[in-house]
Amino acid sequence: MKFIIFAGTPGSGKTSTIKYIIKELKDEFKLFFAKFDCLETSDSEKIEKEFNIPSVKKLAGDICPDHYTALEIPKILRQNQDKDIVILETAGLCLRCSPYVEEGLGINILDITSGDPFRYGPILTQADIVAVSKGDLISQAEREIFRAKILKINPSAKIVDVNGLTGEGAIDIASFIKSSSNIGGTSLTLKHSMPSAICGYCYGNKIIDNDKVQERYLKGKELKNLIPNLNCGKCGFKTCNEFIRGVLDKKAKKEDCPFIKNVKNKDDLCQ
Amino acid sequence: MIGIRGSVMNEKIKKITILPGKDKSGKKEEFEHIDIETGQSIAIVGNTGAGKSQLLYDIERLAQNDTKSNRKFLVNDKKPNKETRFNPKRKLIASLSQSMHFLTDISVEDFLKLHLESRGKKQDKKIIEEVIKIANEITGEAISHDMNLLSLSGGQSRALMVADVAIISDSPIILIDELENAGIKKEKAVEVLIKKNKMILIVTHDPSLALSTDKRLIIKNGGITKILNTTKQEKEIAHHLNWIESHNLNIRDQIRSGKEVKHLEIDCTQIK
Repeated sequence: MKFIIFAGTPGSGKTSTIKYIIKELKDEFKLFFAKFDCLETSDSEKIEKEFNIPSVKKLAGDICPDHYTALEIPKILRQNQDKDIVILETAGLCLRCSPYVEEGLGINILDITSGDPFRYGPILTQADIVAVSKGDLISQAEREIFRAKILKINPSAKIVDVNGLTGEGAIDIASFIKSSSNIGGTSLTLKHSMPSAICGYCYGNKIIDNDKVQERYLKGKELKNLIPNLNCGKCGFKTCNEFIRGVLDKKAKKEDCPFIKNVKNKDDLCQ
Repeated sequence: MIGIRGSVMNEKIKKITILPGKDKSGKKEEFEHIDIETGQSIAIVGNTGAGKSQLLYDIERLAQNDTKSNRKFLVNDKKPNKETRFNPKRKLIASLSQSMHFLTDISVEDFLKLHLESRGKKQDKKIIEEVIKIANEITGEAISHDMNLLSLSGGQSRALMVADVAIISDSPIILIDELENAGIKKEKAVEVLIKKNKMILIVTHDPSLALSTDKRLIIKNGGITKILNTTKQEKEIAHHLNWIESHNLNIRDQIRSGKEVKHLEIDCTQIK
């Protein structure tokens, strides 16, 4: 199975470019499409309807969409062992993160009108392929400068010009996908670590006050030590962190987690 | 590795050959081959949706029977290797189109320096002066080195883009998509590019521009249906049309600079 991750800022033309790429691949391969977003999206349904390929919509809600993506990848891959290619489109908000994995192919759709490439972190620097969109809107000179800058921060990148309106570049990306290697199993490694993001604000604190943040953090930590941190979803929340926020905000009770005290075999909880 | 890459980069593209593919109904295109050489200009004409963009796309990626049209290309009479086709450091086609704008907030001079740097060239003052000089020959509104890129008018921007592509860009092929009404001397723009030994492809419906080129490819239903060499008479007509347009441009500049236009001064000495 091949595992392809598309990342790029909102409005960069990810979905429209992916559509043209799916068109190139769908007759030859069994595909699956997963769309991650924060609050809402209709992209997965549109793609499922248009190309008749199975899809899933994943909404991150209160947690960082890239963290959520990493948490969900094993499930998606496990459920799609019969597919040839799994295409995942990230929410694409953070320039600091890289949602790419070592074993798969990471493609950054980069809007040329969005400013200096040097502003981008791992989303660009760790991509295997950089697909530059909207190049038809700016001067040749600026396009050449943009390319040179991309190669400066990601020297091994393959650069492809794409156009979400005409489908330009889709054949090239499809051929890179075809020649990419298969992933061995469902155990994958992130190309870049996620940001350190555990503080009282992450546990839902809203008052800007260092003492209050600390207080909330300690309460959250206490709860965190009591739960399995396996994101099984049995409490009704997508992740354990969301559950902790829920308890601290009094939207849920500790007891809603069926494993809150004694966890013997963590593997059993995954089922 | 460096040696191999170097040798490919150094091979100058002198000629591109189009071998026939098929049109939208699957019929083979009726020509044996079309050669485009450096210093030549070609117009691509046809109705909207006829397949002009497909042809440009095929040329840009030097298609090898791997696009919808099934066309194939040769470079200097040989099949191009992958390095020539997909080298990220050297794009084959540089393009200029009506929809393009400058987006960088920087002075003209610093911008040209940045472009030179990105092409791995020395930031030579002489080159920058040459670009600005040529741009000023193409537009009537003077461009100076300290102007901000974002404050340039449409005509000034277009003129600077042409001069920059002619001198700083390495791409051997220049694609011009609809240059009409840009407020620049189009004939001069094409002349500048030809002098720099570029291959020029112009998608246009503009008569003076289409007739200034060496050849016209007529596209219908996705296929190249006709290849016309521009006749001597057509070149003369183009010259006359350009002459009329230069007067148009002159009056336009008078209106722009707040002058009262009193009469049309037609300088007949310029026309053969």
